[in-house]
Amino acid sequence: MPERTVAVASRSGLHARPAKLFVQEAMRLGVPVKIRVGDRKQVPANSMLGVLSLGAVQGTVVTLSGEDEAALDALVALLATDLDADTEQGEARDE
Amino acid sequence: MREVLEARAVLLNEHAATREEAVERCGRLLVEIGAAAEPYIASMLERERSISTYVGEQVAIPHGLNREAVLRDAVCVVRFPGGVDWEGERVSLCVGIAARGDGHVALLAELAEILLYPERARALREAVDVETVLKELA
Repeated sequence: MPERTVAVASRSGLHARPAKLFVQEAMRLGVPVKIRVGDRKQVPANSMLGVLSLGAVQGTVVTLSGEDEAALDALVALLATDLDADTEQGEARDE
Repeated sequence: MREVLEARAVLLNEHAATREEAVERCGRLLVEIGAAAEPYIASMLERERSISTYVGEQVAIPHGLNREAVLRDAVCVVRFPGGVDWEGERVSLCVGIAARGDGHVALLAELAEILLYPERARALREAVDVETVLKELA
């Protein structure tokens, strides 16, 4: 199965806010994609709890796998982006 | 998670009419146990409005972004047996988090790991005594 490996770029890691944006995108794409850290158990990319359980911080290398390569590329692009970049000084800003 | 959760930070029978009230209750509790300073509550509310902290299994994880208001790493558990409307989702358990640095990521991973088991999530949601909560989150 096709795989992609990428380091999490978001400053706060793949937790609440960046995790939610990632999971929402995985849902929107609507094709099965799994995500894992190293050799650990893989979880569905569209599961918030699954993604949070990875405990990925900034720089953690994660592996995505799935049959739809376009979906993998889209999700890799999202992970390679600092999703906290539109918040300043740790202050949340409405979208 | 047990190290950051003390018995007095567990409330099992709270009521909140709105999501804001529920988040405020969690924040107030974190202040009461000395884990956070007053401004942390406003930051929790702001964070919640920016993007919901609902994670699934009727659980939300309110937390603030102003780390300087965190006095020590701690979590609180607040149960709302009547449920709270959370942007269309039902929340019956809040795990409020106060953490400096990256501590929250490990905490969240630990909590998510537990909630991925539906029977453990249910045991937490339906807990009627503090011991059950402490045991489930051990």
